[in-house]
Amino acid sequence: MTKATTLDVPVGGRADPARMMEGRERRFAAALLAPAFIALMATTTFPLLHLGWTSLHRMDLAMPFMDGFVGLDNYRELLGDPRFWSALGVSLVYTFSTVILQVVLGLALALLVNGMKRGQALFRIVAILPVVLSPAVVGMVWRTFMLTPEFGVVDYLSMTAGLGSHNWLGDPSLALFSVVVIHTWQWTPFAFMVLLASLAALPEDIYEAARIDRASPWLCFVRITLPLLRPAIVMVIIMRTMVALTAFAAIFTVTGGGPGTATEILNLYAYRKSFTELSIGYGSALAVALLIFTLVITGVLFALRRAK
Amino acid sequence: MTSVKPTRRHVLQAGLAAVAFPALIRSAGAQDADLSAYKAAKIDWRQASGEQITVAVIPASYFDALIALAPQFEALTGISVRFEKIPPAQIRQKAVIDLTSKAGGYSTHAADPMYYALYAANKWVESLDPYLKDATLTDPAWFQPDDIIPAWRNANTIDGKLYGVPYDGEVTVQVYRKDLYDAKGLKAADTLEDYVANAAALNDPGNRLWGAALRGVAGAGQNVYIYSSLFKEFGGDWFPGGKFRVNGPEAEAALNWYVDVMRKYAPTAAQNWNWPDIADAFSQGTIASYIDANTSASVITNPEKSKVVGKIGFARWPKGPTGKRVSSIWNWGFPINASLPEKRKKATWLFIQWAASLQTQALTSYQFSGPAKRSGVNRLSLWKNPDFVKLMNSFGDNFVATTLDALEQDTDVNWRPRVPQWPAIGDTLATAIQQALVGQATTKAALDEAQRRLEPMMRG
Repeated sequence: MTKATTLDVPVGGRADPARMMEGRERRFAAALLAPAFIALMATTTFPLLHLGWTSLHRMDLAMPFMDGFVGLDNYRELLGDPRFWSALGVSLVYTFSTVILQVVLGLALALLVNGMKRGQALFRIVAILPVVLSPAVVGMVWRTFMLTPEFGVVDYLSMTAGLGSHNWLGDPSLALFSVVVIHTWQWTPFAFMVLLASLAALPEDIYEAARIDRASPWLCFVRITLPLLRPAIVMVIIMRTMVALTAFAAIFTVTGGGPGTATEILNLYAYRKSFTELSIGYGSALAVALLIFTLVITGVLFALRRAK
Repeated sequence: MTSVKPTRRHVLQAGLAAVAFPALIRSAGAQDADLSAYKAAKIDWRQASGEQITVAVIPASYFDALIALAPQFEALTGISVRFEKIPPAQIRQKAVIDLTSKAGGYSTHAADPMYYALYAANKWVESLDPYLKDATLTDPAWFQPDDIIPAWRNANTIDGKLYGVPYDGEVTVQVYRKDLYDAKGLKAADTLEDYVANAAALNDPGNRLWGAALRGVAGAGQNVYIYSSLFKEFGGDWFPGGKFRVNGPEAEAALNWYVDVMRKYAPTAAQNWNWPDIADAFSQGTIASYIDANTSASVITNPEKSKVVGKIGFARWPKGPTGKRVSSIWNWGFPINASLPEKRKKATWLFIQWAASLQTQALTSYQFSGPAKRSGVNRLSLWKNPDFVKLMNSFGDNFVATTLDALEQDTDVNWRPRVPQWPAIGDTLATAIQQALVGQATTKAALDEAQRRLEPMMRG
């Protein structure tokens, strides 16, 4: 006791030792946190704010004499830009179709493999392969090896099956379909792995009870499996949606947004505006628009996840 | 400190260069080579000794030849050179980003001639005329700047000022299968009509032979590269009455011709082809003729890959309805980054002068010790040098005569609109041409849409 008193006296006499320790600890924690916090601010928040700031400017490398603050002009122009709306449409079609396909196919595969007695491990290893490839590599492989008319594997199969040769990436109506297939091919294994793991963790006793009640397999699936898997499915949907909305590399390498603008997603349009046409200001506005859409859609999905 | 004495920094720099470019080690023996041809120039090559410059190039055999020779430049000048290879699809963006940052990351880079207007508008690169006129930096009697192919120099000149010295380049010509043409009694096309007739006569997709191929893939340097020549041959003008215009009857006629040839006589896949794909297909004997760069000859005459060696003929661009021939031309030139300190600018100029000199051009082409001897040399005198001509004519019938005629008579410096907005124009036109080609829009609709998009950009 005397020890504590003698220690306290020099600091002011009436300080509470516990509170003082707490304050010191908080300062220490703040000091420990600071580097990471500053690094995070510098690498994420600051560029984001800078992007927003740039989007309020006219910044055109081709016409540097026109540069300057323009307020919301870029956004006004964006709302009247048909190519923006078409790119947004392509982005939405691309996102929803790939996510739905991934979940449906991934779930089907997971159910199939979950019932397998042997070879599950092998199947899982094979399935993971596309996921670990870089999207740019996947794009190159599909573009040259699989989809080239008259020379590619897919076209050969199509010709052999009597469906004829098609310009899979050159025909505007087929190109979007092709890039959706490529993305689905690469990322379905992700959905498959997550859902397979969740399936394996489902409690067996509920199914046993259902069997005693003579529930049909379909009923079991709809009333037991799906509700139990719901959190996993929603999680897969959220993660895949965010990635699909910001997809870039595969489409860039496969079609570059073409033919024409048939596969030009919003991301690619912002890239072309900024780095090919060198209209950095307008390109930033497009990027901000994409950010807003991603946030809104993710917000909706999270809200759906909570609602029950 | 004299620059000849190897300091620790020099050793470190050399070490770094060696780590980065093993090719340099292999050719380090070149340092012993005879430098007297360079020393004949009445300038002090060592005036910027000790400087280090960084040169961005694309991965291509014609730059590899220069990289292999670079130790000679280092021995001559005491300037160390670091090369950075950037794929052609990214070099423009990387250069622009470096130039905007004003950090002087690349002292010089292989530049797209269509970008000089943009560079000049932003004052990112130096006018090279003062360097050419400065007697301490350039010996005109030795360097002979007028010997450099005028069409390429003009392409790198904006408002009368030269911004980049051409190092390597090309001109587009007709390439055809002489054996197939002879068998049917056909001649190389003199007009675009003849070209279509020839293609129609030989087109036989059932037997995997297509009549023609042109670049189909979208890009300012791909489909627009070929289309712009057609546009000019059909009487098009980018700035009628001083106002920018990409649509109109001449543009539609040119685009219709292009779409027609591609749809009727080219493989469907050609809609996504760039020149290497065309050259590969031609090498496999599946294409009867194409219009593209003369430099593609090195692919189709490579005996290891090509099945048509010895069966190839060359001819100039067919004439358009206006009776004009307008060839597409290209060169990789070297500008000087305006953000460099003065001494490094001089070092960069010495490098450029060395690379563009007759001696270096000869050493990297017909005198080159490696297997890939470059054909895109920048000197008129070399194109008339018997040794070089002999090597080049092994490419096929009429190669040198065609190239020289095309370079001297068939070029129009404004065949593409040389304005700072070119990157946007090129991309927008590329999209429009491809939309028309794949049937996403009619030629008129595609060109009108491009005009609608480009007008506000040109107004500023």
